[in-house]
Amino acid sequence: MKVKFFATYRAIAGCESFDAPAPCTMLELLQYCSKKWPKFRDLLLDKSGRQLGPDLIIMVNGRHIQHLDGINTKLTDEDVVAITPQMAGG
Amino acid sequence: MAKHLVVDPKKCVSCRTCELACSFGHHDVINPTLSRINVFHYEEDMISVPVVCMQCDEPSCAAVCPTGALHRNEDGVIEHDNSKCIKCKQCVSACPLGNISYSPKVQNVFKCDLCGGDPMCVKFCPSHAITFADTDFAPDKKQEAADKIKEAALQTREGE
Amino acid sequence: MADNISQGGWTGTILRVNLTRGTIKREPLNMQDAHDYVGARGLGTKMYCDEVDPKVNPLSPKNKLIFMTGPLTGTFATSGGRYEVVSKAPLTGTIGAANSGGHFGPELKFAGYDGIIFEGKAKEPVYLYINDDVVELRSAKKYWGKSVPVTTDKMQEDLGKEFRIATIAPTGERGVLFATIMNEKNRAAGRGGMGAVMGSKNLKAIAVHGTGDIKVARPEKFLKEVTKARKMLMEHPVCGEGLAAFGTEILVNIVNEVGGLPVNNARDGSSFDKANNISGEMLAETYLVKNQGCFGCSMACGRVTKVPQGIFEGKGEGPEYEAGWSFGAACGVDDIAAVLKANWLCNEYGMDPITLGSTIACAYELYEMGAIPEADVPFPFAFGDAEGMVKLAEMTAKGKGFGNTLALGSYRMAEKYGHPELSMSVKKQEMPAYDGRAIQGIGLEYATSNRGGCHVRGYMISPEVLGLPFKMDPLVTEGKASTLKLFQDLTALCDSTGICLFSTFGIGLPEIAGQYREAVGSDESDEEILLKGERVWNLEKKFNMAAGVEKDTLPPRLLREELPSGPAKGKVNELQTMLAEYYAERGWSKDGEPTKAKLKALSLDGYKL
Repeated sequence: MKVKFFATYRAIAGCESFDAPAPCTMLELLQYCSKKWPKFRDLLLDKSGRQLGPDLIIMVNGRHIQHLDGINTKLTDEDVVAITPQMAGG
Repeated sequence: MAKHLVVDPKKCVSCRTCELACSFGHHDVINPTLSRINVFHYEEDMISVPVVCMQCDEPSCAAVCPTGALHRNEDGVIEHDNSKCIKCKQCVSACPLGNISYSPKVQNVFKCDLCGGDPMCVKFCPSHAITFADTDFAPDKKQEAADKIKEAALQTREGE
Repeated sequence: MADNISQGGWTGTILRVNLTRGTIKREPLNMQDAHDYVGARGLGTKMYCDEVDPKVNPLSPKNKLIFMTGPLTGTFATSGGRYEVVSKAPLTGTIGAANSGGHFGPELKFAGYDGIIFEGKAKEPVYLYINDDVVELRSAKKYWGKSVPVTTDKMQEDLGKEFRIATIAPTGERGVLFATIMNEKNRAAGRGGMGAVMGSKNLKAIAVHGTGDIKVARPEKFLKEVTKARKMLMEHPVCGEGLAAFGTEILVNIVNEVGGLPVNNARDGSSFDKANNISGEMLAETYLVKNQGCFGCSMACGRVTKVPQGIFEGKGEGPEYEAGWSFGAACGVDDIAAVLKANWLCNEYGMDPITLGSTIACAYELYEMGAIPEADVPFPFAFGDAEGMVKLAEMTAKGKGFGNTLALGSYRMAEKYGHPELSMSVKKQEMPAYDGRAIQGIGLEYATSNRGGCHVRGYMISPEVLGLPFKMDPLVTEGKASTLKLFQDLTALCDSTGICLFSTFGIGLPEIAGQYREAVGSDESDEEILLKGERVWNLEKKFNMAAGVEKDTLPPRLLREELPSGPAKGKVNELQTMLAEYYAERGWSKDGEPTKAKLKALSLDGYKL
């Protein structure tokens, strides 16, 4: 499963993307990332470690996870996940 | 402990928020010509420099003041006492950094007073280009200098 | 009532400059209108509609050109550095209101003027000189024909560095239909061709320097509101950190991720496989020197950029996301240095990069399908040709060869070659960098925007992609009409106050209304203040109707051609569904005309246009 990072998250991960083990849930993927890069710990998940952090956008195959199954979204090896801090522009 | 303002041109984004905050804080109006701090923008070199009173150890403005209207207070700030000032503007000429001004509009001399200990420019600077630092704290610049010398030495060595 | 309205936030004086006669008059600001239409975009539009026949030819001496600030312009309010240029737009024939930042607007107020009305046409090139109380029309012969940076530098050399310059480039002098007015070299009143209106009046520039005060009605309360709003912005992840670090170009990757980044004139869908090469991340890694802020802005999204060597060598400011797309994905180009070069040309030669990039993309498609004869083109066009794209931008800038065809904008160019449907425009103005098929609500915004294809009248990308202030599904139509109406009204209010639209990523109506109230000394509720935004919107609509502007629609490509790939595969824009809901939300008729009842509720019923 391909996981892409945008904006400041690239500096934290030290890469633009990486291959993550699948299948898993979104929560498991975020926990995996938080373990791999400790700086993600307080960003991707909230203090409980079970809910999404407040200022990020996550998409699976271009769909925001709020329109999927949120943090329980099931992921397979075919999926492409994009994780980015809250951003705006125009 | 005495404090003064430290500016970092590398961080300045040229928005002049400091000028607005300063004039509004002191005069209740927005007017950069009444600001104690001013930003100078060097377009060609892509850098901006905020300029403000350094609260000098040996203040020229106070030294030339014939009436003692400028003096250092207990917080280390060079204060301007309006009741003693005769508006002779000697201080304006004396400051080598241009950081004390006379405004014909308000007919008064004005300079940075650090807003009584909570400078508006520091509070509102979005890029943290202006900080409020202890005067007694002298940063050790030797490391920085060593880094630069090292770079130069490396380049020379590669050239040999 | 007008007597009771304070002048907080205002200088109280408008300059009326008759270029035909060479006269300059000072007039009091109409405080009742200022109260009802807020300022800048709203008040400028009201002043314009009062004086100009909607059927006027935008480039004739009978047209007028208004520079207008808002009550928060030049104050300590969040990002309060904006001003608006209002006139009938030559590109669209709609009401044109183009908003710009930098330091020009505040400087005008420091000089003691809330706005300037230009009438008529000068016999020879002139510029308006404003140095506090000294206001003069002066010859601009020596500056005519010069680019934006050359004019600005020369004028500052002649007048002093303290002068702020708003000027047109030779594109505006020649009447290029998307010519901009540029202040401080790199800030643009960009869309609709305001630069061409200025050029048609033989007005080259305005040079202004001021030393006066700007006062607000209730300074203590104002400071409180400003402090609160500024704190929210500075602590906001986007307004405090994201925009400063990456600028607006940061959107490239995420918009591409949702399959909404139109590729090759939107012909080949909206998933660009090379998007990362033209992204904000790439810019930060390569050619970004530093970020820069407009007057009093804490977000500082401006990009100072430099390409040190190669065929695209140069330096300047930008690009914004929109230009990153128009010169990038829209033309199939993934060389960010080329995008920068084309964008700098737009700044130097006063051109709207959205329209120019999209027009080049349209020319590429017309050529590839064989609609443009070989004899017309300087070299074979091909999507992805970065060097060709920059060459075409330069030819348009300098009025050479095919550049004069591109200067028409995509609609008139495509019409000339028999395919107006291939112009990715609404009301003849090019849509920006989001595909209305993948993001339904932005399609509705393009169709209904009072100045033609435009994203900054109701930025639906905020809820549909970014989740600000709440998340909506971009693929569905439900709820889009009501949200868009709210965004459009709030934006009209925001633009009219004189603060930057970008601040609304981090603050909302309570903070905008709060700062406005204390600046002008009003006790109106948030809702009453928002209603002024709706009034502005309806007045703009009334003008467009009187001007005979075509109906609200989208290019057939967005309505009929399904997206070939990406998360929105198979989608078209479902405009008709949303449009009916939108008109109902607005309280308009089924044909999209404000009803009598609506006009009455907005106190616009007695207003003849």
